[in-house]
Amino acid sequence: MATRRDIQDIIGLPGGGDTPAPKKRAKTAGPQKKLHGVNREVAALYGERPPPVAVYEEKKTYRAKRANLGPVRPWIQQPFTNPARTDGLVLKHWRRKPTARPNIENGGDTAMEDADNQSPQLETDYEYARFNVDVSVPSYTDEEYEAHLRSNEWSREETDYLLELAKDFYLRWPVIHDRYEFQSAKAEPADDAASAGDSILENPTDALSTLPYNSSLPRDPRSIEDLKARYYFVWETTLKLHRPPEAMESSEFELLEVLHSYNPDSEHVRKRIALALMSRPLDEVKEEEFLLAELQRINIAANRLDAERAELRERLEAPTPQRDLGPAGPLGNFQSSQALTALFQQLFQQDRSKKRASGSGRLSLSAGDIIGTPTAAQQAAYNAAAGSRKASMAHPPPPQPQLRALSAAEERRYGVSNHDRLTSGVSFGSDKLVKMRQAKSGVQTQKIAAVLAQLGFGDIITIPTARVGAAFEGLVAKVGKLLDLRKVREKEENEVKVLDGMRAKRAGEDPAATGSAPPQHGRDSTETQERDMKQEERDESLMEQSIADSTVGAETTYAEDGEGGDDAEGEEDDAEGEEDADGETNATSTRQVSEAVSTRAATTPAASVKAGHKRSASVLSAGSTRSRASTKRARK
Amino acid sequence: MNPSSATAPNTNEYAGDEISAIVLDPGYSSTRAGFAGEDIPKSVIPSYYGIAPTASGSSQYLFGENSIHNPLPNLEIKNPWSSDGIVEDWDTATKLWEYAITSRLTGQRPTDPTKNGLNDGTNGEGNGQMDVDMDGLDDAEKPLAESPLLMTEPGLSSAKAREKYIEIAMEDWGTPAFYLGKTGVLAAFASGKASGIVIDIGASTTTVTPIVDGLVLKKGVQKSPLAGNYMSNQLRLIFAQSQPPVPLTPHFMVASKSPVDAGAPAQAIYKKFEVPPTASFRRFEEERVLTEFKESVVETWTGPNRLSVPGTEESLKNAPGRPFEMPDGYNQLFSAERFKVAEGLFDASSALHDPDNPRPKDEQTIPRMVQAAIHHIDVDLRPIILGNVIITGGASLTYRIMDRINAELSQMFPAPRIRLIAPGNTIERKYAAWIGGSILASLGSFHQLWISKKEYEEHGPSIIDKRIK
Ligand SMILES: Nc1ncnc2c1ncn2[C@@H]1O[C@H](COP(=O)(O)OP(=O)(O)OP(=O)(O)O)[C@@H](O)[C@H]1O
Ligand SMILES: [Mg+2]
Repeated sequence: MATRRDIQDIIGLPGGGDTPAPKKRAKTAGPQKKLHGVNREVAALYGERPPPVAVYEEKKTYRAKRANLGPVRPWIQQPFTNPARTDGLVLKHWRRKPTARPNIENGGDTAMEDADNQSPQLETDYEYARFNVDVSVPSYTDEEYEAHLRSNEWSREETDYLLELAKDFYLRWPVIHDRYEFQSAKAEPADDAASAGDSILENPTDALSTLPYNSSLPRDPRSIEDLKARYYFVWETTLKLHRPPEAMESSEFELLEVLHSYNPDSEHVRKRIALALMSRPLDEVKEEEFLLAELQRINIAANRLDAERAELRERLEAPTPQRDLGPAGPLGNFQSSQALTALFQQLFQQDRSKKRASGSGRLSLSAGDIIGTPTAAQQAAYNAAAGSRKASMAHPPPPQPQLRALSAAEERRYGVSNHDRLTSGVSFGSDKLVKMRQAKSGVQTQKIAAVLAQLGFGDIITIPTARVGAAFEGLVAKVGKLLDLRKVREKEENEVKVLDGMRAKRAGEDPAATGSAPPQHGRDSTETQERDMKQEERDESLMEQSIADSTVGAETTYAEDGEGGDDAEGEEDDAEGEEDADGETNATSTRQVSEAVSTRAATTPAASVKAGHKRSASVLSAGSTRSRASTKRARK
Repeated sequence: MNPSSATAPNTNEYAGDEISAIVLDPGYSSTRAGFAGEDIPKSVIPSYYGIAPTASGSSQYLFGENSIHNPLPNLEIKNPWSSDGIVEDWDTATKLWEYAITSRLTGQRPTDPTKNGLNDGTNGEGNGQMDVDMDGLDDAEKPLAESPLLMTEPGLSSAKAREKYIEIAMEDWGTPAFYLGKTGVLAAFASGKASGIVIDIGASTTTVTPIVDGLVLKKGVQKSPLAGNYMSNQLRLIFAQSQPPVPLTPHFMVASKSPVDAGAPAQAIYKKFEVPPTASFRRFEEERVLTEFKESVVETWTGPNRLSVPGTEESLKNAPGRPFEMPDGYNQLFSAERFKVAEGLFDASSALHDPDNPRPKDEQTIPRMVQAAIHHIDVDLRPIILGNVIITGGASLTYRIMDRINAELSQMFPAPRIRLIAPGNTIERKYAAWIGGSILASLGSFHQLWISKKEYEEHGPSIIDKRIK
């Protein structure tokens, strides 16, 4: 969304000052161009305004040569009647003179002349009569009315009048309401209903009484909703009378439901709310527009930022130089940046030429494209590198036929795991587990070990699969937290002790108490210790529970593995996964996390604006959809 | 069949079916008539007519542009319409309209030459007098015996007026079928809209008509006298009140003129008349000058503030003016004045007034009329209506009036977007109602709606209220 201001910024023009100039030029250009038939000087007298007399220029345009359509076929004023009319009005329109078939057969010009003299036949099937559609309005007999349709608010006469208007104006309710002029002595009940409706809607009424024109006119004795409600009621009742709901077809029944669910009060409330929405002051509308524009701007900026970031990441993760080969290898020549660029160009060209065949993007450069890397091992290495690069990028990988996307369940079943980055070499899951037990300080490590021992974990965990590792990691984290908590509590308690001591000291100024203070203190401490113990127990039980949870989780996964039938294979996969993960993984993940956090920080205002805006927008759209829905219903 | 000028357009494309109906759109300043299906009315005549005494003591009616601008002795110029846009003099109106139809469209029926009045004192084409004695004609000889007639009526016409229309059409003109369309609705049709709100700024009245699905919402129709004639009167006041007063001399008085400096008194030789032309004639001729002035100099003030905001008018004094030369050579640069003419249409407080021209009421301004009209419209329809604000009428050609209407309405209704619709073409703007009628009366599906002669004979004139609601 490059606005004019943006462009001005780019070119370095001062904004604002020169606004009117281009506008005016654009405006005058229009009408002046049109004035072809007038002298330039004369046209200039008018300035920007159109001449009072429209000037039409007779332009010579290309005309298709008149096709020879055979002999002249005369036109006649053909009289016709319209079946949509009941009065048999005869109008005349121009029609080609019908060439009667027998005339041609006889081949006689004399016959044609005969036809000329005949007065044209009256046409009776008028093609536009089919547009004569009529609405059918419900009807009822006197008995039906007495039995089912009597109402305190509506007299029989008024109901009839309503139905007649509905028919006359094809159920266009705004028009029916506009033309509704039923005079009757019974105006009071309607007023009652109106005031009852008002009391329901007290709040909107209050809110709306500030509107400029709402208060000036008295409320209609019959609102559009009242009319609709009555009509729908009559319709519904007659529908039911003519056929019981059980016997209805689904479409009829749906209609019945729609009719039944019409609620004039809620319609009224809705309209009042809509009105309030429409009569917002200019400032609010402007603000909304401004926010919308701002949101769009932010979204675009965020997208751009994301794109830039992705690009940057892509660059940072350029293919690692192939250490194994060394400088003497075939890629040794490509160590300077120029050489690399040349290589890239070369590869790119090749890829482009092949792209049509493979149909995938630049990253589909397969190992076979690289000159001088013929061994299968290298191919595999390159594939791995390409794969990892792909995974680390924000976009979904380009479709590759040989890769099948696995669902989460399948991945678990086959023990497939995804890693941001795999490093070479072999690593063991058990190593990871051991590492986890170690904290920075030896004391902490010992404490962790103690807790683990207390929980009944041995030094060696027998099957260190990835999931067990993850569970164990969680456990260790929890243990760490527990230890932290303990430390904090100890500190607090020490403080309490010190404070207690001070209090005791102050109390000790009373000479009699001096001797008794230490034992008291001692008792206190034992008490706290006891409390401690209890607390600890509780903590531990909590811990145990959570560990139990996680082990249960792990067990279930084992079970699943077992079900999968290929225990060994699953474990193998796990091992592979572990193998590749090492310290670097952690580094990358932290970096990504921090990046993610920073991204979030950058987009938060946008996000919050978005959220806020979304809310108002959704309110709006809800309103409008509802109104649309209701109009649809009304039409029905 | 390949399409060429020789083949008729495929009627199914636009559901058209022309039955040589005639469309008649009478207005205060001009009367438009033509065949349905055509783009513009073939016959446009002024609604003013001349009445001059003849030697025999009776009076002679003069119709048509060619005969009423001649300064005959004792020629009075009149208008069958009252100044509030309602037909007053039905008899003359009938003759005038008949002239509009017969002079260019149907031609005279071959009636008894002594009876049709064409032969007493005609002096050239277009100078027909329609002193026709209708009683002497039987149906086949009546001017519209072969053509259905669609007439337009203003938005707020009385039941009596409507009955009069059909009576004239059926009995005086003998039309086989008749229909009455509201100018607002037809103007909307001309813009291809079936729903919207039409602001018609004509000569005598400005009418605001809300329309839903081609039907007028009667309670919402608003009417005010702030239109073309009002603007002319504002101009007269401005000319009279300026220092020194601007002389308003119509063309017919000037024999020759010589150039003078801006603001200097005119140096012209004036024509001498044995019998001085009547005041009504002079006023009518002055009106022509004023219309010219409105066309070329008047501009609507578009802000930022209204003109009545203190200080705004002063800032105008140094705005570039536009020159105007009167028929007698007097010329002047008009700057602030030219903005004041139309301001009253939007802001009654800034209208110039004197005892003859009372200050308009606030409710008569365009924004207030639109507001009042919108108030009668169901909330659900308002977005549609406000998205189709259709502007027509000759006086809506006042320069930049659209911008002003847009600004005023957007100010008043910020929420649903206001969208103004107005044909850019001068002709289409002036004759929108006629064009809409032309479209309507040439539609195949419309022909079932005509009121036929038979129906009229059965039910009498009151059928119009039953059939056309
Ligand atoms: N270019 C113009 N600028 C300003 N005013 C104009 C212009 N052209 C015509 N007018 C004015 O428009 C008016 C005529 O408009 P229009 O033909 O719509 O009226 P009408 O339909 O005959 O009258 P009404 O609708 O009141 O019965 C006249 O007052 C004329 O002065
Ligand atoms: Mg008009």
